Amino acid sequence: MGVREQQKQATRAKVLDAARDLFDSAGYEETTIRAIAERAGVSVGSVFTTFASKAEILGQIMNERIEQLTVELEKVVPHLRGSFVDRLSAFMAIRYDFQMRRPKLYLAYLSVSFHGQRARGFVRMGTSPALRAPLREIIAGAIERGEIRADAEVELLIDAIVSLYGFNYLRVAEGAEVAELTSLMDRELKLLVEGLARR
Amino acid sequence: MTFVNQKTLTVLEPRQRPTRRALAKQQTREKILAAGRELFMTRGYEGATIRDIASAAGMSTGAVFASFADKAELFDEIIASDYEALRDEMEAAVEDAKDVQSALLGLFGAAYRSHVHRLPLVCAAMSVGWTRDPKTAGRSREALKPIVDLIRNALQDGVDRGELASHTDVRLLRGIVWEVYLSGYRAAVYEGWTADDMLARLAEQLKIILAGVRA
Repeated sequence: MGVREQQKQATRAKVLDAARDLFDSAGYEETTIRAIAERAGVSVGSVFTTFASKAEILGQIMNERIEQLTVELEKVVPHLRGSFVDRLSAFMAIRYDFQMRRPKLYLAYLSVSFHGQRARGFVRMGTSPALRAPLREIIAGAIERGEIRADAEVELLIDAIVSLYGFNYLRVAEGAEVAELTSLMDRELKLLVEGLARR
Repeated sequence: MTFVNQKTLTVLEPRQRPTRRALAKQQTREKILAAGRELFMTRGYEGATIRDIASAAGMSTGAVFASFADKAELFDEIIASDYEALRDEMEAAVEDAKDVQSALLGLFGAAYRSHVHRLPLVCAAMSVGWTRDPKTAGRSREALKPIVDLIRNALQDGVDRGELASHTDVRLLRGIVWEVYLSGYRAAVYEGWTADDMLARLAEQLKIILAGVRA
């Protein structure tokens, strides 16, 4: 790696660190590019040569967090045991636990996921393969074991699970914490899975 | 009758007849709501300031704050009045329906068909919800209550008719149905889905959900 490329990477890392802290403390809307530059100790101009917009910065932060979460999950998913709903519940509980470590950051990500604009590299909530692929695997396992109907519409089911998972975070605004989100999701999954049970 | 009228009339009840001053006040509110709707549509929630809205309505920011506590309250009233305008159609859909599935599709279909023409406003509403403070979040939930109640009633009717199991957790089910309904808007925004597309997917999802609570 050339000196220039190294400098670029260093700036990038500094900007992402600074932005992550500011988004999670002050809030996404409240944080300006200028404030990010200041905290990162770089010029406003060099932030803009690395990222086109604030949304792109947020997208990168979330992609890196998702990678981190995926590493944690890969250790867990093959060892999930129990019924279909138990496995789904465990998988979702790990995600709530991880994202609620920085709730404000995740809520900002949800907000941008819905506001209708697009930013380079921004993977909207619910569309990430890191979320959908393991769900697909868990559902395939349940079909294989004959727990749910073989003709279950997998993508439709994933859409529904992801919607419930995401919208439950709306309760955080009124003070809900991990335990409440997880228990609500458990109950929702149980009801959803009832309808898929093989009869 | 709109949401706005109901509110003002409650204030006026002792005299039964609106005074000139009250009428003027209501006109002011409606002007602000119209200007706000327009600006939220074109600039999004964060992009539209109270100052812009006041100037578009031809009044001072002070006059806006005399009618609404803050931007969030103004915005929530716009969203609530959009639903309120659909309420008769939604109620009729529930009354005419022969079962829970068609009642829900009737009422959500009315919402999808209307909102699909105002997607920027829908986006603003969906994106602002995550970062509210507790007080505003509670107020917003209160503003949507009439519609949420319609959904609950449709589900409760299903239980009473014996279509859904008597032990159904109506509250939980209502939450699930509402969230799956809301997620349809994202496909409209990002994938260009029509109201019919959204409704078709909702129908499939409701089938799965309701299958789990049938009597």
